[in-house]
Amino acid sequence: MTADPLPPFRNEPVLELRRAAERQKLLDGLGWLDERLALRAPTWIGDDRHDGDDLVSTDPGDPSRVVALAPRGGPAEVDAALTAAERGLRGWSATPAAERARILVAAAAWMRERRPKLAAACVREAAKPWAEADADVCEAIDFLEFYARGAIALERGRPLFELPGERNTMSYVPRGIVAVISPWNFPIAIPTGMVAAGLATGNAVVLKPAEQTPLCGFVLVEALRAAGVPADALGLVQGDGGAGAALVADPRVATIAFTGSGAVGLEIVRRAAEIAPGQRQLKRTVIEMGGKNCVIVDSDADLDDAVPAIVRSAFDYAGQKCSAAARLLVHEAIADALLDRLAGAVDVLQVGQAGTFGTEVGPVIEQEAQERVARYAAQATAAGRVVARRDAELPATGWFCPPTVVTDLDPAAPVLREEVFGPLLTVERVASVDEACDRVDALPFALTGGLFSRNPDSVDRVVARSPVGNLYVNRKITAAMVGRQPFGGNRLSGTGTKAGGPDYLLHFVEPRVVTENTVRHGLVV
Amino acid sequence: MADGATAHGGGEDAVLAVGRAIHAALPSAHGPLRGLDERAMELAAQDAQLRAALFRFVDVVPACRSLDDLARHLTGFLGEVETAKPPPIAAALRMGSTRAGRAALGAASAAGVRHMAHRFIVGATVGDATGVLRHLWDDGVATSVDLLGEATITAGEADRYAARCREALEQLTAVYRGLPPRERLEADGLGPIPRANLSVKVSALTPLLRPDAPGLGQRDAATRLRDLLRTARSLGAHVHIDMESLDSREAVADLAMELLAEPEFADGPSAGMVLQAYLRDSPELCDRLIAFARDVPRAHPLVVRLVKGAYWDHEVVEARQHGWGVPVFEVKAESDRNFEALTVRLLRARADGVALRPAIASHNLRSVAHAMAVARALHLDDGDVELQVLRGLGDDLQGALAALGLRVRTYCPVGDLVAGMAYLVRRLLENTSNEGFLSAQHEGVPLERLLAAP
Repeated sequence: MTADPLPPFRNEPVLELRRAAERQKLLDGLGWLDERLALRAPTWIGDDRHDGDDLVSTDPGDPSRVVALAPRGGPAEVDAALTAAERGLRGWSATPAAERARILVAAAAWMRERRPKLAAACVREAAKPWAEADADVCEAIDFLEFYARGAIALERGRPLFELPGERNTMSYVPRGIVAVISPWNFPIAIPTGMVAAGLATGNAVVLKPAEQTPLCGFVLVEALRAAGVPADALGLVQGDGGAGAALVADPRVATIAFTGSGAVGLEIVRRAAEIAPGQRQLKRTVIEMGGKNCVIVDSDADLDDAVPAIVRSAFDYAGQKCSAAARLLVHEAIADALLDRLAGAVDVLQVGQAGTFGTEVGPVIEQEAQERVARYAAQATAAGRVVARRDAELPATGWFCPPTVVTDLDPAAPVLREEVFGPLLTVERVASVDEACDRVDALPFALTGGLFSRNPDSVDRVVARSPVGNLYVNRKITAAMVGRQPFGGNRLSGTGTKAGGPDYLLHFVEPRVVTENTVRHGLVV
Repeated sequence: MADGATAHGGGEDAVLAVGRAIHAALPSAHGPLRGLDERAMELAAQDAQLRAALFRFVDVVPACRSLDDLARHLTGFLGEVETAKPPPIAAALRMGSTRAGRAALGAASAAGVRHMAHRFIVGATVGDATGVLRHLWDDGVATSVDLLGEATITAGEADRYAARCREALEQLTAVYRGLPPRERLEADGLGPIPRANLSVKVSALTPLLRPDAPGLGQRDAATRLRDLLRTARSLGAHVHIDMESLDSREAVADLAMELLAEPEFADGPSAGMVLQAYLRDSPELCDRLIAFARDVPRAHPLVVRLVKGAYWDHEVVEARQHGWGVPVFEVKAESDRNFEALTVRLLRARADGVALRPAIASHNLRSVAHAMAVARALHLDDGDVELQVLRGLGDDLQGALAALGLRVRTYCPVGDLVAGMAYLVRRLLENTSNEGFLSAQHEGVPLERLLAAP
């Protein structure tokens, strides 16, 4: 048990990269990592580690560089992991929240001590440019710290009304085993968040990280194990969709936490609704999927601020954030000026290797992604007018896609509805912010959105009409912070469960209410 | 400050004596925004919400497309003020409810903002500003012209800013060529001082300033800045490289020192850099600047403009949002003390024979008096110290300093209303801050307190 209560939550500060000494720390971390490549990223069940080389993660900026080797787990590994988790659940669920919190905070400290090395892993395995790689690690630390505190608060339960002669209590207990299926785009932050939420609330967890980033998945398990999470309470199964499907289908899984593509997310929702023989619990899904995120620009927007923020929103990390901007809806009065400056700003985007300071747009994650982006870009280019295409001097190796802006598309064009997940931005003219709101409202997605306006009335109208989970006014629409911008989408973008928010942990517990009669022989005792 | 006290042998008495002399030369007490728009500014200074509403309105004026649009924005901002609304505000809100009322309100408010802007911005172009520049010269005041503009986010915008700078250097040279001699303004103990003086912003010379990659913006700006330095050299004009937020400091400082050290520029032009005293680590840059002036052989002394710093709110907010240590002094007195310590270091370097021209830029009577007292204690001539003020904020001080025969230069922004808004908002912020020297002076704080050591 902790002797002292935890200090109030505060976000882990990102490195002050405007100072040369801080930049050097990251370069040192990368040097350290590069000397050790390729690394092993085993499956880790109980105390057993299984190495393998069926899965090979490579540097998206230089596919000849092998980052990690991992086994491809399947039903057998999933079964072993769940068997261990059943054992682990008994002890872990009985551990007081304060003790679980202490261990999560220790895992945060483990990561904090290794920030440059962990950021380097994000750079190499996911091609995250430095500032974002550093932020990824900080966000992982934030999730650990935030959910640790949340679990302590949750253990106190909630007050209920009581009348004389009764004692009512409401408490929250772990649901059971959580299966975490995580994406590659926040390769440390997102799996750490989902795993930490499950563990903080006393569940056992089995993690299946994205097959593109097994090393990042491995290191966060290493952090939690080193901090004291019992071996059986947290298992790691490396693998692809096969391992994920086996996890989702298993009747022993109580909760599925998933972040990833819409197709997989909807399949998980479907499969989770089926009751397998022997299953004794409804599976709960905590799902974050994609979006088609729109930014609205009002006629009075300050383009000095709006254009750079739009460029950041659409092209940072090559547009591979679920929160990234895909559609720009611009008031016609300001559209020409905006397009002109946007084109110029895209022309000077720094496209390059993630490990080079100053790079804004790295490669996309893999060849398949490069082909998908190219397909959509070709469609858009054929059907509309290209405003900007930053294709000069792309690096010779790596899965690079030229940042592209297209306008004058047919309203029915698929590229206006489907998630591209790459550096492609489309621009539409609208006569008013209300028309823009109509178009946003017509989408099945509702993840993030943006508005640039200096008119309080416009802001109020868009806020009232916006279905998205996260609306950003007069700033970029990416980079949600734990505790400050609880993150997650509505509609077909997700279950609206808001990672990093005050309600997230409720999805990993079940509530129990106890009412005790305190009247005996007519007396309240 | 021990350092300062030893340097100016006369100590506090000497500072007081200089301060009293300058004060006696000031026009009789009135606010820094005499008459004009004083009402709105006074209201704003007293009420944080009104202040926010006023700034938001000033900020959006150039983006409004009609008088109706202007009035809708104004009433929108005022409507969000929750504190008791003074009668003129309530009246404005009533006018906003009818179309005719909005037209009148829009016209009146736009005129008010334009009026306000003209206090701080001398003209839309250098051509427009010619009259003001001549008039100042006649009054014994030199200038440094700053070209306001929209943010540079494209290569084309960087090229256009560079072209405007070139043109401004030519125009300024032409304006000043015809003016009569002003001995005080044209030479000091180190030699002649150029008349035409342009302040340049590196952030406008490149769209590639990135805090985490200073070399990127540096390389991109270098081509355009070199070109400007060549123009200035051929015209005999001075180029002053402004400093902005800490995000770009490394790039700006390194770029300026790298270019000025190139053999090509050993013979000119006259150039200068800026030292921001509100930065906690400013003494390090001060040492670098002194070492540069001492060690790099150039025909013209390096001018070092010492300022408090104009991005205080930005620096504090950015640091807090990221969880970083705040890079600026958070207590104003600490900043003032550092300003005096840096003043002493710069003046002492000059007294020791370093080819450096200290330019003390402050509206704080104490800071100015301190600088002059230190200079005299170091046996420097008054003319070896340049004093700088901002157009619109330091007009009275500028007059008093010139009347006393001191060497004064006024920083004169030039640009249209759209371009000038960000600058205007910063100046208004400064002007309505309760901590500023000017408001203390305006509130009738006794002279001895105004002149006391920070």
